[in-house]
Amino acid sequence: MPKRLLQKTMKARVFCNNFKSGGGHLYGLESINASNGWAISIVGISIVFSGLVSLSLVISQLYKVLALYEDPSKITAFFKSKKSKKVDEKEGEKIITIVLTRSQKETVKQFALLARTLDDHFSLPRLLHLAQISGIKDPYPSLNILLKMRIVESDENGFFMWKNEVSDRAVR
Amino acid sequence: MRDIKEILKKSKVFGLLDADSVKRLAGMFDQWTIHPGDILTNSGDTAHTFFLLGKGTVLLAMDEGKAIVLDTPGDFMGLELLSAKGKYKTSLSVLEEGSVFALSRQGFMELIREDSAMAETIMDAWQEYLDAKAPFAKNNEGPGLLQQF
Repeated sequence: MPKRLLQKTMKARVFCNNFKSGGGHLYGLESINASNGWAISIVGISIVFSGLVSLSLVISQLYKVLALYEDPSKITAFFKSKKSKKVDEKEGEKIITIVLTRSQKETVKQFALLARTLDDHFSLPRLLHLAQISGIKDPYPSLNILLKMRIVESDENGFFMWKNEVSDRAVR
Repeated sequence: MRDIKEILKKSKVFGLLDADSVKRLAGMFDQWTIHPGDILTNSGDTAHTFFLLGKGTVLLAMDEGKAIVLDTPGDFMGLELLSAKGKYKTSLSVLEEGSVFALSRQGFMELIREDSAMAETIMDAWQEYLDAKAPFAKNNEGPGLLQQF
């Protein structure tokens, strides 16, 4: 018989003998010791604690699931962008190819409509202001995407131009 | 995130300074995190801070509707604090999350007061930078106070 099991059996016998001989109603710490109470408590606490940690982790990440629920196109865009986010070198300058989500494509279209109301060489702060007052979602990061994708390009004189062909390709 | 010393060494304006000056200058900058939509300066406000771009994209808007997009680490903003009027002539809006290194007007003034050679180097480099990056903006801004040192 394994040593540990033997010890436990002995312990149990001692407990029964004590009980039978009338010396033995155990209370408090003795009772806990005799019934492996400490080990059981530690296991119980660990289970509850791990459960609470897991629950808090789930709750802390819940906003991501809700964001996906609001815009399911992000799921496909996430997997596509992993593969297709690349940097093209063209004439020594970096052009970043970004796969747009459905809502980002909508934003590009909304910006395109605003740009049509401006001159060919327009003021970028003016476009940003129009986007803000028109209620376009996230105008600052959206404008940044337009610049990174070269949909909006500087004319080197302080004004900017809307590149229709690049814009059409991006929203296709 | 890139180190301020590395950015200063690569900067068009501060890259010409010697190692000791760069080291002294680096210790005076505070790093700020920037988020899309943050407004760093408004045109007409008292110029209190000079900024060096660490990471991200910032739109520099001028009064006449002209603008420059700054997205290269080491691009700088707010050198109007050295102008005679000490007012910002441009507005700075953050388009992409990142960081800037900020130096107060007082710190900058003390620095160039102590080291006139550094002031001259900064002024020359500033003119070259404007020629290359935004020739149309050259008349718009000018570190006037630098000429006094």
